[in-house]
Amino acid sequence: MHTPMKILLFSTVMFLSVALGLEAGEVVVTASADRNSAKVSDEIHLTIRIEGAQGSLQAPRLPGFDGFDTFYTGRSSQISFVNGRSSSSVEFSYVLVPQKPGRFTLKGIEVQVEGRAYTTGPINLEIVEDANQVSRTQTQTASYTSASTGSSQQTIQEPEPVFAPGDENIFVKATVDKTTIFPNEQVLLTYSLYTRYDTRYEGFEEEPGVSGFWIEEFPPEREVKRETVRVGGMRYVKAEIKKLALFPTTAADYTISPGKIKVSIRQEPRATSIFDEFFNDSFFTGGGFFARRENRLLEPPPIALKVVPFPSRGKPEDFKGTVGNFRMSASIDKATVKQDEPVTMTLVIEGEGNIETLHKPDIPELDEFKVYDADTASNLYKSGDVIAGKKTFEVVFIPVKAGNIRIPKLSFSYFNPRLETYQTLYTPEFVLNVTPSETKFKLPVALSEKDEFKKQIKVEGRDIHYIRERMPPRDINVFYRGAIQGILFANILLTLLLGVGLFRDHQERLYARDNALRRRRRAKAFAESRMRRLKSLMHSKDPEKSNRYFDEIGKILTQYLADKFGLSVHGMTEYDLERTLTDTFGSEDPLSKEILELHQICEESRFAKAQVSESLKQRAMKILRETIQRVEKTRR
Amino acid sequence: MKSCLNFKKVVLGGVVMMLVMQAGFVWAAEAMSSFDEANQSYRDGNYEEAARLYTRTLEENPDSGNLYYNLGNAYFRLNKLGLAILNYEKALHRSPRDADIRYNLNYARGLLEYKVEDKRNWYMKAVEAFLQYFRWEEVILGTLISYLLVVGSWVFVLFFANGLPWGWGRKALIVLFLISLIFLGAKNIERNMMRDAIVLEKNVSVHYGPSSADQVAFQMGEGLKVYVMDRREKWSRILLASGESGWVPSSQISEVVG
Repeated sequence: MHTPMKILLFSTVMFLSVALGLEAGEVVVTASADRNSAKVSDEIHLTIRIEGAQGSLQAPRLPGFDGFDTFYTGRSSQISFVNGRSSSSVEFSYVLVPQKPGRFTLKGIEVQVEGRAYTTGPINLEIVEDANQVSRTQTQTASYTSASTGSSQQTIQEPEPVFAPGDENIFVKATVDKTTIFPNEQVLLTYSLYTRYDTRYEGFEEEPGVSGFWIEEFPPEREVKRETVRVGGMRYVKAEIKKLALFPTTAADYTISPGKIKVSIRQEPRATSIFDEFFNDSFFTGGGFFARRENRLLEPPPIALKVVPFPSRGKPEDFKGTVGNFRMSASIDKATVKQDEPVTMTLVIEGEGNIETLHKPDIPELDEFKVYDADTASNLYKSGDVIAGKKTFEVVFIPVKAGNIRIPKLSFSYFNPRLETYQTLYTPEFVLNVTPSETKFKLPVALSEKDEFKKQIKVEGRDIHYIRERMPPRDINVFYRGAIQGILFANILLTLLLGVGLFRDHQERLYARDNALRRRRRAKAFAESRMRRLKSLMHSKDPEKSNRYFDEIGKILTQYLADKFGLSVHGMTEYDLERTLTDTFGSEDPLSKEILELHQICEESRFAKAQVSESLKQRAMKILRETIQRVEKTRR
Repeated sequence: MKSCLNFKKVVLGGVVMMLVMQAGFVWAAEAMSSFDEANQSYRDGNYEEAARLYTRTLEENPDSGNLYYNLGNAYFRLNKLGLAILNYEKALHRSPRDADIRYNLNYARGLLEYKVEDKRNWYMKAVEAFLQYFRWEEVILGTLISYLLVVGSWVFVLFFANGLPWGWGRKALIVLFLISLIFLGAKNIERNMMRDAIVLEKNVSVHYGPSSADQVAFQMGEGLKVYVMDRREKWSRILLASGESGWVPSSQISEVVG
């Protein structure tokens, strides 16, 4: 490859690399943990931070980390303006609960941002055994406790259960705290394990089928609630192994399939509670050194849930489906500003309900302000059996007029399922003292850099585009026809030329391989051409012209035969001629003799003093013609 | 006397030439006037008259994409979606890269009662979309030019630079010519074999055979685009982009080309 080409290629590759690098550099995704070592069942807070992303982002789903339970706890987003430059970031928070000791490396977490996948770096964690763990139930293990030991735990009479097929010593019940709810209202799904075995909970073999619901998972209790209950005349140890908060998205009748739960048991129901002290130890939970353990799949029966629509009576216009019990507060960062100077309003909505789906209060079109959304942050609290949280919205108001102008009351409506009524909260009305400014409104540089602050063009209606009011040019069709015909004609000419050129090229190649071929092929044409010129000399009485006639005939014959037989013209003797003719026609052939005779006539006539008769000239010409014809036939 | 005769011939020829040219100008002026008249009728909201005048102008100037576009607009205003779409399609064949025609065609299609799900492979759709971006004449011209370049360069080398090796430039020209040949073939199939047509009737019953006695396969409505696969007397076999096919009376559809 030439050097300039190399340079060009290198420059292109470098340019593309830099361009791609810059583009990729706009979004940065990182993951971090608040600590790198913890005890089993401690909480490790994992944060995924996405910087520089545009638009809304969905919370990344964590892959299943072996040895950890994971829970999503909320998000927060920030947009900051420093020295006229803006930057945005979103943080997603998770809690990791280690389930076993060891050294772990959490692999990179894949995060989708604007259609591209980004992967975080790995995180190393060291989990150590908890010294006090033996007396706790962090691994969500339940164990049969014999009644004879006189357990101090509370004994409750339970309704008749649906037993696991084939074995009534162990079963799982999935229950909901209410069966008729409104859309987006929390319903608590609880999984309770009833067992008479030494049992270890292994997790879900099949995830619950809860399509149509927004799900929030509760972290496991540090102390699993464990009690002894009597069901159908038998004593069981009951333990709550999992809790999910479900939020239905639309009104409909649902059937929740609770999934399949995997447990491992020691085969024989235990008669004493002597191992209770140790059931959480992985060695002793195995049922003793020589005991055998067996895996069981437990499938609780499906649960019917009715989601009724919101009442239409009294529904506020700004109601957007938020359900729960909330309170709202609002504040502005300054009350006296110059025209075109941004004022930030902070709105905080806090309470029980699905915080993630909570919308910002509507802001009406305000002539006095340009309004832009800035930060949004949400935090989830999972206290007891309720999902609660706080969502903060920051809105930038830029006054475009001077004077005392007002930010009106903003309303936020939600449905309170306990009271079964709609409730509306209002922010206070803020009065701003805006001093005039000479400069015209201009979007602040910090805001104009972000596309999300620019207003979208709204199409208000659609129709067909208007007619053409000028006569279309006819020339274009004439042009096409003319161009096609012209180029077609040129192509035909060129094709013929190409044919000629190729034929000529082929001939040249043949001539290049055989030098005598060109002479052989052109001999006849050359001879005939010269013979035509002889006609004027044939009838002349002038002896000099007669001499020239025979001289020319001799030359034509010699030239022709020399060309045909590849001989040299110069110095060709009668002997050479005789030998060639004898080789070609044989010594007895009359033509050979005639040619020799013609040769003699020519030689003699050239030096004759007397006038040569015309019949002799014709005879010479005849012999010449016959010779050429005969040789042509012979050579073919 | 002889020179006098020649002079008369020259004068006569001149007069004939002037008459022919004047007739051409008169024709052009008439065409202009009927086009302007049609536009004025459209502006006045007299869409029936506008459609009639556009149709008359088209008889004199049948290759104008703009005229078909305006006629499509007039039919659209008359709520004749089938005829509007047919004329937009005809306009698109003549001016395939005209954004207004594409917009109006898509808009009119959006108002149709029926929708046909295009079940063809993505590459078939891509090829069709690509082919539809070029006029038939443009494809022919492109092929001829690429042939001219190949043969011209060859002739040049043979006659003026004999012995010049086949460099990447001439190889690229041959590849270009082969591509243009394939393109020409594909365009020919698209234009002459997959003849597209538009349904003009409000409701059309598609039969399993070319007669009303044959069982009805499905119903379709005005404005849908179909491909005509076969023609019999008064009946046409059509194919939809969804893969459904059947027979319809030829009078209920109109081919875009032809």
